[in-house]
Amino acid sequence: MLRFIGKRLWHGGLTLAALVTLTFFILRLAPGGPFSRNRKISPEVQANIEAAFHLDEPLWMQFGRFVWGVVRFDLGPSTRHRDYSVNDLIASGLPYSLTIGFWAVVIASVVGVALGLAGALRRNSATDHIAGTIGVVGIAIPIFVIGPLFQAFFSLRLGWFPVGGMNDGMRSLVLPVIVLALPNIAYISRLTRTSMIETLRENHVRTARAKGIGARRVLTSHVLTGALLPVIAYLGPATAAIITGSVLIETMFAVPGIGRHFVDAALNRDYPLVMGITLLYGGILIVFNIGTDVVRAILDPRIRNER
Amino acid sequence: MIGHGKAWTRWLGGAAMALALAANPAHADDTLDRGVGSEWSSLDPQVNFDASAGSILADAYEGLVTFDPTGKIIPGAAESWEASADGKTYTFRLREGLKWSNGDPLVAQDFVNGALRTLNPDTISEKGYYFYSTIQVKGASALANAETTDTSVLGITAPDARTVVVEMETPAPHILDIMGYFQLAPLHSPSFDASGAAVFIDPAKVVSNGAYVIREVVPQSHVLLERNPNYWDAANVKIPFVKYHVTEDVGTELKRYQAGEIDITYDIPLADLERLTAETPDEVMVFGSTYVIYYSFNLSHPDLANPDLRRALSLALDREVLEGKIVKAGGVPTLSYAGGFDPDYPAPQIAEASITQPEREALAQELYAKAGFSPDNPLKLSIATTVAEVNIRRAQGAALMWKKVLGAEVELNSMERKAWLDLFYTDDWTIFADNLVGDFAGPETFLSYMRPSAEAGYGWESTAFEAAMDEAAQVPDKAGRYVGLAKAERLLLDDYIFAPMAIEPYRHLVKPNVKGFEPSAAGYHNSQFMTLE
Repeated sequence: MLRFIGKRLWHGGLTLAALVTLTFFILRLAPGGPFSRNRKISPEVQANIEAAFHLDEPLWMQFGRFVWGVVRFDLGPSTRHRDYSVNDLIASGLPYSLTIGFWAVVIASVVGVALGLAGALRRNSATDHIAGTIGVVGIAIPIFVIGPLFQAFFSLRLGWFPVGGMNDGMRSLVLPVIVLALPNIAYISRLTRTSMIETLRENHVRTARAKGIGARRVLTSHVLTGALLPVIAYLGPATAAIITGSVLIETMFAVPGIGRHFVDAALNRDYPLVMGITLLYGGILIVFNIGTDVVRAILDPRIRNER
Repeated sequence: MIGHGKAWTRWLGGAAMALALAANPAHADDTLDRGVGSEWSSLDPQVNFDASAGSILADAYEGLVTFDPTGKIIPGAAESWEASADGKTYTFRLREGLKWSNGDPLVAQDFVNGALRTLNPDTISEKGYYFYSTIQVKGASALANAETTDTSVLGITAPDARTVVVEMETPAPHILDIMGYFQLAPLHSPSFDASGAAVFIDPAKVVSNGAYVIREVVPQSHVLLERNPNYWDAANVKIPFVKYHVTEDVGTELKRYQAGEIDITYDIPLADLERLTAETPDEVMVFGSTYVIYYSFNLSHPDLANPDLRRALSLALDREVLEGKIVKAGGVPTLSYAGGFDPDYPAPQIAEASITQPEREALAQELYAKAGFSPDNPLKLSIATTVAEVNIRRAQGAALMWKKVLGAEVELNSMERKAWLDLFYTDDWTIFADNLVGDFAGPETFLSYMRPSAEAGYGWESTAFEAAMDEAAQVPDKAGRYVGLAKAERLLLDDYIFAPMAIEPYRHLVKPNVKGFEPSAAGYHNSQFMTLE
């Protein structure tokens, strides 16, 4: 098992290194730079500003500087948000993205799996149809349509939750969490249902039943572990994507998370901030993928024995 | 493993609790909630360059002068000022007993220190140009360009604790426009020397001299300010708290306004502007800013080198229809370039302003044919624009008019803002959907920029324009200077190096219970002049 994890970590590290290297150089190919906006200032002042952020150095040297910074956990200053370093901005935004993402994943998993199970166990019943409808709606209607609808109904009509911002404590979390969870509920419930139905037909389940094991025990110890494997495989990367902040959700609900920083930084050519968040996103994604692999390996010996 | 999981959820629960506790206790009627659009770039008054942070800083810092709700210059930290006969030296007299928010006395040297920090290359500020370009303060350019580190060369001095003297190379009656907080905020050196730039964002360390003091800063979320009891006019500051909210998405901002979370919005969604203007005319505030939009022609392009063709292109555009029926963003159509900002300026317009639009179009067709173009041989151009919706709409409208009136084939070349900025200097464009934000609401900031010596990017050569500008720059009184500037603008417009299009507006929604928010081209809306009813 340790060897298995070690191998995954090694591959993950290589992937991450390739990711940041590519991002660093591709970013510089985009036209414009962090300080290309002002046509009025003197060339000397412009040069001074660029030198202060080492933009005058050759690219390889800037890359070396970045790598050396990463080694020391220093991602450098933000070129757009001059009051803060990249570390500050991530420290300020990440808790919001994590909180919303965490609750969205919890709700999506619990509700999604429950709906999927209910649908699979009572196929073509009313429950199944309702779960199916939620699934289709959740996947088909995009977040940027659902979000404003929810705001109009729950905030403007009913006045239950604020439209945006994080000024009302827990109440501020409700809408972004639900809207972020919805498409995942849909996806997870479909996945669970399909996988359950397949597993119920498997030989080992039939054997268990034939041996006279009770229906409940067959379900918990023979069906569920197998049926949830695809769900777990989906949840790993999905969790990584959700907790690192959804740009759409954060923009729509004015959440001060890091998702918005990412897009904003790319548009403003804030190189250090883009690199910092890319590194963070990549790192989280890889860690969750490894975590998923480990969980699947525990549940499924076939994966564990892969060489 | 399980224990770790618990710690993880505990931590998240803690973050959620922190959010719950962060709920603002002052989110009642004693708080003015204002939208600032996207995230501000910096709260450092000597560094910040953008308008959204500017409105926050307007509450936190006060310059020598300040601006009333309509944008009129009124005494700020200085109670009076006088100009020397040659107009090159201005002497400001500070009010008696001025204090910083921490109770320290505010002295003239603090303003000098503010200017010195702006110009110091180590500050990495772009704002020094106000002192070496917008007005030419003695020594400013040498300090900004690191030719010297001797701060005594600077023409902004404090002969005594209550006097600030500004000495310039040339007279500049518009000096007062840049003596406000945005360009010349004072610096509390003891706290800056002790804590560095943290004094601008850390509520525990903040020391400022405006009507309000920063109490809470959450990046991407909000800035909360509280009334400054040490402000000289604190008795007349009516609203106890002001909270500036970041809302990137303008549609969300509108909903937050409708839900009562925001009292004054930063913008209005274009799609809703017409409806809101009809439904709630009292809450919609749309008025001109200091932002002029014009379409520049590439003078090195073989066809556009012909001034008659440029003239034809300019005349074929019906600006009233463009802004009123196509763009529909509240833009003010203009046939001038530097006019429309200061009503005292006798702004010239393009020569054909006196004839009707159909007459202009007939003339345009004639000039177009004379330049050798016909339906069989149409002029082919493209408009380089950013992807912002207003800009796209305007460019589409212009292309349509050029097609309809002249038969010219004009396509859109829309791109991301940074790419658009860089494109200008590549010369790889024919028509550039251009704009300029003036430093103040007057003609000179726009006209100086068009000097071939200041902005070589246009490839325009005009010794007559330079000479006219040089001549105007020697006149110390405003009225006389405006006559000279108008003469220069006449020369500029007659060369048709661009087609003036419109003045970009500010668009705000203001709750009926907020009083004291009025149209102001300069865009200063200090909360200290507002009340909540």
